Amino acid sequence: MSRVRIALAAGLALLAIALGLTLARSPAVVARKSDTPVTEDRLAVTATSARYCQSEEQLPAGASAIRLSLAADTGPRVDVSVSSGGRTLTSGTQGAGWTGRVVTVPVRPLARTVGAVTVCASVRPRFEQVLVFGVPAAPALAARDGRQTLPGRMTIEYLRRGSRSWASLAPSIARRLGLGRTAAGTWNALLAVELLVAIGVLASMLVLKELG
Amino acid sequence: MSRRVETRAPTRVGKANGHRPDGAPADAAPKQRIGARAFVRRERSAQRRQAARRAKLASSRSGTFASLLEFHVGGSLVRAVRRIPTAALVCVLVAFLNAACWSIVSPPFEVPDEPSHFAYVKQLAETGSLPRSASGSYSYEELAALQALRYYKVREQPDNRTIASRHEQAALEHVLRTAPGVSEKGSRAAGVAASEPPLYYALETIPYALGKGGTLLTRLQLMRLTSALLAGLTALFAFLFLREALPREPWAWTVGGLAVALTPLLGFMSGAVNPDSLLFAVASAVFYCLARAFRRGLSTGGATALGALLAIGFLTKLNFIGLVPGIVLGLVVLCARAARVSGRSAYRLLALALAIGFSPVALYVLVNVLSNHAALGAASAVTVDARRSILGEIDYIWQLYLPRIPGTASYFPGIFPAQKLWFDGYVGLYGWLDTTFPGWVYSVALIPAGAIAALCARALYQARAQLRRRAVELGVYAAVSVGLLVLVGAASYDRFPVADAEFAQTRYLLPLIALFGAVLALAARGAGRRWGPVVGTLLVVLFLGHDVFSQLLVAGRFYG
Repeated sequence: MSRVRIALAAGLALLAIALGLTLARSPAVVARKSDTPVTEDRLAVTATSARYCQSEEQLPAGASAIRLSLAADTGPRVDVSVSSGGRTLTSGTQGAGWTGRVVTVPVRPLARTVGAVTVCASVRPRFEQVLVFGVPAAPALAARDGRQTLPGRMTIEYLRRGSRSWASLAPSIARRLGLGRTAAGTWNALLAVELLVAIGVLASMLVLKELG
Repeated sequence: MSRRVETRAPTRVGKANGHRPDGAPADAAPKQRIGARAFVRRERSAQRRQAARRAKLASSRSGTFASLLEFHVGGSLVRAVRRIPTAALVCVLVAFLNAACWSIVSPPFEVPDEPSHFAYVKQLAETGSLPRSASGSYSYEELAALQALRYYKVREQPDNRTIASRHEQAALEHVLRTAPGVSEKGSRAAGVAASEPPLYYALETIPYALGKGGTLLTRLQLMRLTSALLAGLTALFAFLFLREALPREPWAWTVGGLAVALTPLLGFMSGAVNPDSLLFAVASAVFYCLARAFRRGLSTGGATALGALLAIGFLTKLNFIGLVPGIVLGLVVLCARAARVSGRSAYRLLALALAIGFSPVALYVLVNVLSNHAALGAASAVTVDARRSILGEIDYIWQLYLPRIPGTASYFPGIFPAQKLWFDGYVGLYGWLDTTFPGWVYSVALIPAGAIAALCARALYQARAQLRRRAVELGVYAAVSVGLLVLVGAASYDRFPVADAEFAQTRYLLPLIALFGAVLALAARGAGRRWGPVVGTLLVVLFLGHDVFSQLLVAGRFYG
């Protein structure tokens, strides 16, 4: 057996193992969402250091990341802390360089759900503005930036590892992939899988022919 | 392994090979005595004739797609296509199938700027005119479809998924059936696409017309598949570029060609309606033609092909302008080389290429002037902000790609853009830049990337003597690349500080994908004769795995 043949077999076997391990894992799911807005409003814009705090939040057990509705093209470092009664329960940091309309900050998960917590997010933009999004709320409930009250509450999501594996979700993913298509149906997902298999077979055959 | 016989580069004319220009031994006595000037004239004339014969011979021997590009084949298009190596055709097929798969996995319009590009095609196909405005709303038909697809809720919101129920599907189908009934033609606005040249969109009017009997989503899917065909062209030209640029190791062409075909970002962008897909193909063809001309000499066909590619590039996407200085430099260098043999007539080739290449620009200026518009259209309105320093801009562009020079202000505090923006963007940033792998994936990806860089560096070190000989050619490729990097950097600086590094999206660098293929082929070669094919095999599997996991990531994000 040639070296190329062995390398190809080993590589494909590793790929299959990685695929199996991934399918056995569970995706992160939203354990709790602070609000369910139809549309979000821009609550604040900052180009300098700012610390936004929002009280009356609930930190679900096992939450391993907190997702905030902050927007930037090249976002600055974001520090998040969750506290209750002046004591920090958990915290985390997302380094600079994130992009888009939300930022996900990994935090240390807690074993039990804690209510009435305050979530604070600190940003230190150097040049680009950071936008904060959320839903309108009464001043008593609204998020605060230092002494200033924002016109609403920030949208905050708490993520944790789901209970179902990717493999068990596969049928529902396949069904959903088939919707919103020119010819709806699960066959769309099957076609995608067949195409990927065909790509793998073609690439492997070519490697064996030209390199083997 | 391919057993294809390498076509040798033509040998130089003259005394170096011990023969007179007419083929007789150099020491053979002339049949009649002639004056020195007349002799020089005759010698030059003979050299020119021989150079022309050689170019013709090289062209006919080399075959493949080059003949197709250089219009030397007359009616034998089929013969030219038949000469394409099987390995290249498989790469084409893999790239097409991969982009087609991406076109299924990516939900409609959940690829950057796809709604704008679709609107442009709709306007062009239904009214025959270009969109007039970037602002404003799309057509009712498109807006209704976007609404029914939950586009506005899903875009940039990683927690929101696409439609999930039969009820939503039924509502979508109802909208798709009834919306075209509104008496409306085209789309007045085309968002960010409005300022782009029309060639890609004109091409997409063909699938649009073919799908006229179907719904908007039928047309969109046919248009996506047309883009997927262009991914095949990109892979083809990348393969042919490798064949010209690295002629000694045929197996390495397959490694580079397959890696290009399996690049997830190429599949993602070419599986959508976006002029980038044509730009990638054109840029790869440019690299192929330059490599071919550097290896075999610039012929009339080669100059015509490069001129045509310049024209096509200008008509495809404004980003192509970044490649132009390097291409023109390449043409100048190639003509200067040809002039050593064939005299000043070589510069006619330069004039020919530039005349063909810049004809769309000249035509555009002429039309604008005749219709009392600014000569350069929207570009005429671009002004340089006097408050901004040129040095500041240079520093910004430098830092966008390279480590900051000590003593200069940091434009990207806390990050190294080459890694955080460009590398991470290559590893995985899909959808509307809202779909990413877990953070550890980007760190782990640095390991194979470092190994590839080290192997490539080894291959380059081993071939240092050859590199010195081909320094000018490499300089031209570098100039083409730097031009694109500067264009993207300058565009980002233009929006700074309102938006920082807004255009630092790796897809904007994919016109250089043929060079990326060369890096991978060199990395495989860098492992040596014995282990090179093994490393090449592992590279192909690595890219296949990256592609599979990227598509699973997108499927999980939108449908999970």
